[in-house]
Amino acid sequence: MLDKATDLLVGPVFDAVDIGLVVLDSQQCIIGWNEWIARVSRRPAEDVLGKNLCDVFPDLRNTRLPAVIEDAFQAGSSSILTHTLNTLLPLQGDGGERLLHNIVVRPVFSAPAKYCLLQITDVTVAVIRERLLRERQNARYYAIVDSAPDAIITIDDSRKIRWVNGAVDDVLGYSHSELLEQKIDILLEPENVLLPILAKTNGREETRTAVSVVGRYRDGKTGHFDVSIGHWRADRRDFVTTIWRDVTERVIADAALRDARDALQQTNEELESRVEQRTRERETALRQLHESQKMESIGQLTGGVAHDFNNLLAVILGSLGLLKKAVPHDPRVSRFLDRAIQGAERGATLTTRLLAFARRQELKVELVTLQKLIPEMLDFLRHSVGPNIDIHTNISPDINAIEVDANQLELALINLAVNARDAMPEGGSLTITCHNEDDGKRIGTARDGFVCISVTDTGEGMNEETLAHAQEPFFTTKGVGKGTGLGLSMVHGFIAQSGGMMRLKSELGKGTTVTLRLPRARENPKAPIANIELSQLAKPKNLRVLLVDDDILVSMGAADMLLDLGHSVTEAQSGSHALRLLESDTPFDVVVTDYAMPGMNGFELAQRIKERNSRLPVILATGYAELPANRSIEFERLSKPYTAKDLAAALEKAANS
Amino acid sequence: MRSNATDLTEIEQDALAEIANMGVSRAANSLRQMVGEQVFLSVPTVEIVTRQAASKLVERNNSKRLVAVQQTFEGPFCGKALLIFPEAQSLELVRSIVGYEHSLEDVIDLEQEALAETGNIILNGCLATIANMLHRTMRMSLPSIVRGDGATLFGNGASGEQYVLFLYIDFNIKKRDVGGFIALLMDLPSIAALKEIVNDYVNDIQRHLPSHVG
Repeated sequence: MLDKATDLLVGPVFDAVDIGLVVLDSQQCIIGWNEWIARVSRRPAEDVLGKNLCDVFPDLRNTRLPAVIEDAFQAGSSSILTHTLNTLLPLQGDGGERLLHNIVVRPVFSAPAKYCLLQITDVTVAVIRERLLRERQNARYYAIVDSAPDAIITIDDSRKIRWVNGAVDDVLGYSHSELLEQKIDILLEPENVLLPILAKTNGREETRTAVSVVGRYRDGKTGHFDVSIGHWRADRRDFVTTIWRDVTERVIADAALRDARDALQQTNEELESRVEQRTRERETALRQLHESQKMESIGQLTGGVAHDFNNLLAVILGSLGLLKKAVPHDPRVSRFLDRAIQGAERGATLTTRLLAFARRQELKVELVTLQKLIPEMLDFLRHSVGPNIDIHTNISPDINAIEVDANQLELALINLAVNARDAMPEGGSLTITCHNEDDGKRIGTARDGFVCISVTDTGEGMNEETLAHAQEPFFTTKGVGKGTGLGLSMVHGFIAQSGGMMRLKSELGKGTTVTLRLPRARENPKAPIANIELSQLAKPKNLRVLLVDDDILVSMGAADMLLDLGHSVTEAQSGSHALRLLESDTPFDVVVTDYAMPGMNGFELAQRIKERNSRLPVILATGYAELPANRSIEFERLSKPYTAKDLAAALEKAANS
Repeated sequence: MRSNATDLTEIEQDALAEIANMGVSRAANSLRQMVGEQVFLSVPTVEIVTRQAASKLVERNNSKRLVAVQQTFEGPFCGKALLIFPEAQSLELVRSIVGYEHSLEDVIDLEQEALAETGNIILNGCLATIANMLHRTMRMSLPSIVRGDGATLFGNGASGEQYVLFLYIDFNIKKRDVGGFIALLMDLPSIAALKEIVNDYVNDIQRHLPSHVG
């Protein structure tokens, strides 16, 4: 039987099989070597038969094959040695390529002899095919996965990282090899939502949406990630592939956007409040403009009305004066006439005040030093305000001189003191301070060099509405019959006409401060106008007077006065009429002309006359200061309404000049 | 009687554990030669249980998903030898044997073959040791891989009273610990024959014991 078997081993079947067959005896010597193994080992049977296997292939002594063969003989065990775990025989294919092979070792017992059969199987084709198949399957997968910008990490069911893509370096800072075999926990904070989801090993419960987690970079810093999770199963194993998208920038950008939105809202609110403030400021400016326009209008109106009244009062006073002389002395008639004259004079005072407010009063500008003027009038002021009120002064000794009508300034200060007294019925203190103010910008004007006079009381003050109207004429808070309502408006008009400004500051319950600013005197001030005393007038000679006035009523009154004074009068109704009369042969000693006339005004007429006959004196009668500032001094002036005495003084002066 | 047949005395248990340890240390030598590093295998306990008990024992740790290397043997006693791991651990075992330079996919590809060869080495080691002690030869088949739960591995519909010699086995390869089981599925006569061999072994030792003591 053994012989038969031996025959069979070396027979055609033995050589026909497509695996390697080697038969060893108990001494591990080769007794069978088929053609297949002869071909791939490049060792023909005649070379190896009868030799020990390990002598033919000495490297086999370093493998476990000899021990396995020994076990097969001794214990009857069958063994498999795979190419995976063992390096075995040096076998080559037809093309010289190394053959991957497994060896199965089996005992063959044929009592009393024992043999060992080695079956050598070529697995090269299968291994290569598997590898190719896998590579082909994986090629597209890797093309996607390795070019993905997100880190892709596959873990097994013990959370160990089994596979990562190239993006882990960019996304998490880890190299490929650093992450393999680590637990995915190293990428996460201890408390996180991801691990419980990964623990759901049941692949059916796939999480579709991404999970937001705080992850940890290699450098220990943390970042925000959206992690997509996919469970899958291969070769009866569970895996989870996680895709990590770094959204830190987005999270930061979101936060920045929120901050920016808050900042924008805040800016908007600030802008709104600024717009509101500007609107308020604009409203205030508009109100001030409106106020000043209103004052201007009232001034124009008042000035016009006062002018006309002045003319009428001039007629009335003139006529009454003449009447008093003309009628025989009768105490009863005299009393009526005196009352009429008093009434007309009061009317004249009123129009003077109105003209002051309208900045059209006649100002007698002179150089005034406040260091002198104010102390001199303190007694009078104390008398005016009464014993309940203390007056303090604080006058800087180096205060500049000002050019102003001293009488009007005194009147203004008395007005302010009286107002202060009325604001302090229970008593208090009144403070007058004077100082220089060199910087005009500080008080909102381009001009420099002001002198500032402040009158401060500790009275009841004014509310906003009262303050707004305080400078208007006829506005008064005093009881009926107690005030004219012209005090502050007169002061305002006077200061404005003098090139200065007035400011009111008041707080209810705390008091009021009126500040007057007047321009400093120029370096070479005009010489003060001499106040000529006209009380001692010489008996006038008879003069031939040319009287020019467009108002017939006024003209008639004046003519009557002149006749009464013993002069002869020729009347003219206009400038041109007057010039025609002068061209005639009629001689005149003096011309008295109204200033405000249609066509040619009084000043123009006076200049024409001067051109023709420089020696003929001209008297300008004016109701208000409309004359060009510098030339008015050339001609004698007469303030309307004038009395016969005023007229006589003017004629005397003109005739003697 | 049956309980006598299937129960192991304390001495028998110790003896079997010693024989098994001799077997696995023989296998450890083979693995070391193959892996190129020290491999430690040990069998801490041995017991004889029924098939049903064995299938519960193998599922005890966690999963019902098990992988086993199976070989049949014939000789003075016959039956089926199984090296059993939880599936999750078998991959770890293969990794530790084939090395960590391989990718996960390579390891999965190699798993079947590598596991078969590793199981073959361990089971051959145990069975060959027993055969050597008997001075008898046995015939052992080539290994095959079986996957499934305990019932699948131990067969639920098999006829005859079958028992399982159940051994726990610890692997320590490259500083990694993997726990598994070795199960020898045998019929009653085979168990009896095994016990006889074990008792012979014990007696042999005891015969030599006085001289050692003296």
